[in-house]
Amino acid sequence: MTRPASWIVRVDLSTGSVDRAPVDDAVNREYLGGSGVGWKLVADALPPGIDPLSPENIICINPGVLVGTLTPGTPKTTVITKFPTQASEDGKHFIGACTAGGRYLGVALKRAGCHHLLITGKAEKPSFLRIRDQSIDLVDASEYWGGGIEDVMVDLVEREGPESGTIVIGTSGENLVRHALTIVDRANSLGRGGLGAVMGSKNLKAIVVNGTGDIEVADPRRFIETSERLRDYVMQWPRREHWIDLGLAAGWSTFKHTQYPGIWPKDRWDELYGEETRMETVEDVIGCNSCILGCRLRWKTKGGQFDGEVGFGSPFSKSATSGMLLGEEDFRRMIHFVADANARTGIDFYTTTRIIDFVTKMYEIGRLNSSQTGGLELSRDYETYAKLYEMTVQREGFGDVLADGWMRLKRDFGLDPQEYWYAGICKGVDFIYDARPSNFHPLMMTFTTRPRPHHGGSHTRTNSRNKTIEEIREQVECWGLERKTIDRVFTESDYSGKFNVGRYTRYMEDMMRVKNAIGLCTIYTYQGLLFGGDIAELYSAATGHEMTALAMVTCGERIHNVAKMINVREGFSRVDDAIPDVWFRPMESPEGRIEMQDYYETKTLTKKDTDKILDDYYEERGWDPRTGRPTVARLEALGIEESASELAA
Amino acid sequence: MTPKARGEAPGKLVIAAQNCRGCRSCQLACSFEKVGAFNPGRSMIVMERNLSDGRAAPMIKPIGCDLCGGEPACAKACKYGAITYEAEASEERIVVRLWNREGS
Repeated sequence: MTRPASWIVRVDLSTGSVDRAPVDDAVNREYLGGSGVGWKLVADALPPGIDPLSPENIICINPGVLVGTLTPGTPKTTVITKFPTQASEDGKHFIGACTAGGRYLGVALKRAGCHHLLITGKAEKPSFLRIRDQSIDLVDASEYWGGGIEDVMVDLVEREGPESGTIVIGTSGENLVRHALTIVDRANSLGRGGLGAVMGSKNLKAIVVNGTGDIEVADPRRFIETSERLRDYVMQWPRREHWIDLGLAAGWSTFKHTQYPGIWPKDRWDELYGEETRMETVEDVIGCNSCILGCRLRWKTKGGQFDGEVGFGSPFSKSATSGMLLGEEDFRRMIHFVADANARTGIDFYTTTRIIDFVTKMYEIGRLNSSQTGGLELSRDYETYAKLYEMTVQREGFGDVLADGWMRLKRDFGLDPQEYWYAGICKGVDFIYDARPSNFHPLMMTFTTRPRPHHGGSHTRTNSRNKTIEEIREQVECWGLERKTIDRVFTESDYSGKFNVGRYTRYMEDMMRVKNAIGLCTIYTYQGLLFGGDIAELYSAATGHEMTALAMVTCGERIHNVAKMINVREGFSRVDDAIPDVWFRPMESPEGRIEMQDYYETKTLTKKDTDKILDDYYEERGWDPRTGRPTVARLEALGIEESASELAA
Repeated sequence: MTPKARGEAPGKLVIAAQNCRGCRSCQLACSFEKVGAFNPGRSMIVMERNLSDGRAAPMIKPIGCDLCGGEPACAKACKYGAITYEAEASEERIVVRLWNREGS
C-alpha cells in the first residue's frame, strides 16, 4: 500500500523563490510526518545562534497527518520556529513548536499540497503570502499594515474565497513585541513566545491558503470504519452535552481549584467569574475542523463599558485568573482585553496582563519609580492597565521595555521574574497553571522540561484532580508501553508520591509529539476518549505505514530528541529546566495556606524532592542527569546519527 | 475511485443550520462517500461562511446529491443535528428547517 505523497514547500521571502520537493519515505517512517518531519527539516536547515528576528529564522508550518480526514478532533497545525522571547539572561532563545486548530487553515494547506511550508528571508515591504494550490505569490500588504487581525482576515477571505485558511498578525507583531502571537482563521491563537513578532520581522502580515486537491488515505475502507467507530465512541461521553453548550468554559468546576491565584475567596471568584457569569455572554460554541466536541466561543458582552462587544476565542479561564491577580472585579473589562488581543493587536494576553500585574505592584511597594517608567505613574486600576496594554502593543515609552518581556525587567530594573507570585516562569515564559493549587503533576513538569514552556498537546487525566491511579495508568498503558516501564513509572516514592512524575513526563512528552504530528487535539486524549491503539490504527490506515502505538511513541521520542538537540546547540542545559522559585513559596490565600504537593496531596514537595524527580526524568530519557542533555548512546539508539556525532564532537 | 451509482432514495435531508458548529465533517464525509478521498470542494455541500458573525451553515447542492441511496453520509457524520435524514417518502429531497436555539 502506498503512502499518499507529502510535499515540502520552501519559500524565500527575500528572493520570492519557491521550491517543492517530496518528503522521503524513510523520513516519513521515522518521523511520522506532520510536525515530526517538520522538526527534522528545521534541525537540518536552521543555522545555530541566529537572532530569531533575523531573515535567517525559519517558520515551518505543518498540518497534521490526519488533518482534513474525518477523524474526530484532528484539526491541528503545528508551527516550529526560533522564538524571540528572551529565554535566559545570557541571551538564549529556544526553538519550539506551537499548535492551533481552526476550521480552514490545516485543510487548505493539505489541499494545496503544503504538508511542510518553510518560510525564510524577509520581504522587501509589508506583504502577505498567497497560496492557491501550486501558485504561491508574495502580495503587497501595505494597505493591511497597521490593520487589526480581524479586519485583515475578513478582507483576505472576501478576496480569496470562503474556504481560505489564514494566519494573521496584529499590530503587536508588526511592532516586534516579543510576546506577539498570531490568529488562525478566527478563533484560534497560535504562537505564545512570539511567532507574531517573527512574522513581523519578515514583513509578513498574513498567510492565506486555498487548495483544491484531494486528501487521500492509503486504505479508505479500513480508515473510515475506524474513524466512524471512534466518532461513535466519543459521542457516548457523558459530559458532551454540557461541553458543547459551554465550550472550554465547561472546565470551571476543575479550573477554579487548579488555577486559583489565592487572592479572593473561591466563592467570590465563582460569583464574579464563574460558570453562571460566563453563560451570560456565550453566543455560539465553534468547532474546529472535524471536531465533534467544539470548544471555541463567540461571545457578546452585555452591559458595562463594553456593552455589545463581540469576541472570538476562549476568554474565560485567562480572564478569570488575570482578573483576580489584577483585582478587577468586572469580568467584562477583562474579556475586553482578550477580544482586543484576538481581533486587533495579537498580543499574548497572559504575558501582558501578568507583566502589568508585576510592574504595577512593584511600583506600589516602591521597587520601581516614575523616573524608571519615563514619568508614568502606575496605579493598580483598570485605566492604568489599559494604558500599559496599549503602550506595550505600540512599544511606546515604558511599553518598549514591557514589550521585551520578563528578562528585560530584570536587566533594566533588577526585577527578577522569579519574584513573581503566580504560576512561575521558565525560559522567559510565564506559565498558565501554578503547581501549588494544581499540585505537581506531569503537565507542570513539562512546562520546565520542554524546550518551549507551554502545554500544547501534553495534557493527561492528571490535569484534573482526584483521578484514580487506574485512570492515570490507563493513559500510558494504552500506548502499549512495556510492563517493566509501567512498573517503573508507577513505583511509589517519598519524593513523588504514588507515581513517578519525572518518569511519567517522559512518555507524556513523547505522546505529545505524536499528537502534534498527526494533528490530534489533546482534549480527546485528556478526557480519555481516544487512546494510543486507536491512533495507531487510524495512522496505519491513513498512511499505509503499519504502526503500533508503541512504535509511534518511539517516533515521538525520536522527534523529541531532535527538538532537544537543536536547543542544546543553542546552549540550553539542566539549569534552564529549573522549577520556578515561586512554587516553593507557600501561597497564603483566604482559603488557607496552599503549598506545592504531590498529585494525591500526601506531602509538600521541597527543592530536594523536585531535583530527584528531575533526575528521574533525565534517567528515563536516557539523558545525562548532570547536564540535562541527550547522550550519544541514546541518540544512536534512536538513529539520530547527525546529532550524536555533533554531541560527540 | 470513481463516483458511485445508486438507486433513488425516498426520504429527505433536513438542514437545521442554527445547529451547525462549522466543523465541516459533512463535507468530508460526502466527498469520501463520492470519490473515496476527503475534499470539501468535491462534496455536494457548500459551507456558507458568514464573516460578520463567524457562523457556518451547510447548503446542499440539489443536483448531484442522490441521498447516498438512503443512508446519507453527511447526516451520519453530523453530530450537532444540523443535517438529519428522514426516511419517510417525501416529495422534497432537501428541506431547510428553522427554529430557535431552544428547539421549539
